[in-house]
Amino acid sequence: MFGYVRPNKAEMLVKEYAQYKAAYCQLCKTLGQEYGPLARMALSYDCTFYALLALSVTGGAVRERRARCVCNPLKACVYLEAEGEEYKKAAALCVLLTFHKLRDDLGDRSFFRSLGSRMLLPYVGRKARKAEGRYPLLAQAAAEAMEAQRQAEAERAGVDPCAEPTARLLGTLFAELAQPEDRQRPALERFGYFLGRWVYLMDAADDLREDLREGAFNPFIRRLGLEGKRELAPEERQAAETACNEALNATAAQAALAANLLELENFGPIVRNVAEKGLAEIQREILFLHVKEKPRRELEKL
Amino acid sequence: MTDPYKVLGVQPSASDEEIKDAYRKLAKKYHPDQYAESPLKDLADEKMKEINEAYDTVTAQRRGGGGYYNGAQNPVGGNRNSGFSDVRSLIMSGRIADAEQILNGVPPERRNAEWYFLKGSVLYRRGWLEEAKDHFSRACQLDPGNGEYSAALNQAMNQRGGMYGGYNPNQSMNGSCNTCDMCSGLLLADCCCECMGGDLIRCC
Repeated sequence: MFGYVRPNKAEMLVKEYAQYKAAYCQLCKTLGQEYGPLARMALSYDCTFYALLALSVTGGAVRERRARCVCNPLKACVYLEAEGEEYKKAAALCVLLTFHKLRDDLGDRSFFRSLGSRMLLPYVGRKARKAEGRYPLLAQAAAEAMEAQRQAEAERAGVDPCAEPTARLLGTLFAELAQPEDRQRPALERFGYFLGRWVYLMDAADDLREDLREGAFNPFIRRLGLEGKRELAPEERQAAETACNEALNATAAQAALAANLLELENFGPIVRNVAEKGLAEIQREILFLHVKEKPRRELEKL
Repeated sequence: MTDPYKVLGVQPSASDEEIKDAYRKLAKKYHPDQYAESPLKDLADEKMKEINEAYDTVTAQRRGGGGYYNGAQNPVGGNRNSGFSDVRSLIMSGRIADAEQILNGVPPERRNAEWYFLKGSVLYRRGWLEEAKDHFSRACQLDPGNGEYSAALNQAMNQRGGMYGGYNPNQSMNGSCNTCDMCSGLLLADCCCECMGGDLIRCC
């Protein structure tokens, strides 16, 4: 539902895609079990990726189980269960990130536009505190990153410093998946760093037009010299999107280089698919195909 | 010692050509140049060494020896006429923060092309790719003929173009003409020609 870090379905083996869906379903179930049924709305592709990466680094045993979907009892689905903490951590991350995103919303948008977030905040806040109780390090890393990002954006800093907090956050989270003596730790950290950076930049590129319209801060505005503009003419829009795509390409390249050096069990192919092909596809869909603006019928033609 | 065939990703029954292709593909993927400015350089070098050893073992088993890819030229070399040799050696030994501190201490009037290149390298290693590219551009602007600086800028531009990851909007997926298309086109033309009594390609 939410999230930019997705696999490229067309370039995956059918069984790999089935595994991905099963992990997604399992994360949904875990969210419901740990944080209540409404928490399932916090489910995201990004956190599913985190869970799969965790399982691939730790090499935990996994088991498939056929059951009914928790949301739609008429649908049968497969759950990918694991013994360890991976799904619980991913669920905690979902809740924490949703909480911070809502808080950000309050600060960025006007009162009425953020009314929805305002009303959800107390409930999500309680769940976030629960997550913090279980995984204090995760919560602390997330809180620090959000604070640093808020500060960088308040200072109207450039693209790189604004992306740094999210980059650092994912770098820390990924590195933490491996044991301290593990030789892969630097590679994991670097992969996380550039993936976090990619997510921030992708979000900024996606929101660029809306931010221009509302006069909100976006690091690409100053970078591309678009201050003072409210609307972009088609050629300007294309130029802006090409420029954003370049920044994303450079970041994705570094992420792929780091991912190359990881030795992953279990779901290595899925992780590599995301790093090498998934990110590119999302860039294409959002910046060039403009999928968010097209009605469903047109999307099927693409 | 791990199975060299497994490292190369081929069957023991693979032909020499397949072995060479597999090696080339892996060497391209883990090429040291890509990791030269990265903190993961050591990990990548080890991987490359493993691949080279596997290739050597396999070729030695089959005939006698085979050359392999030469090691990386580390873009931030140490033995040259440099005004910042201390910074260069700090970067090479991985002490990026110290290198950056020295660079930041240089007053604006003394910031020459080399300064911009080294600052760009430091930024690149830290992951601040946009500012790194700006600095490399400036270095090339101030010293256009310099191979070291233009190589760094070229690598940054290639990565931005989607060559190593990410999406390249200019690469047409459906319209490109490749050798497979050409060859099958010719075969088809030959067939049609023969149907009409001629013979375009004698040997088909």
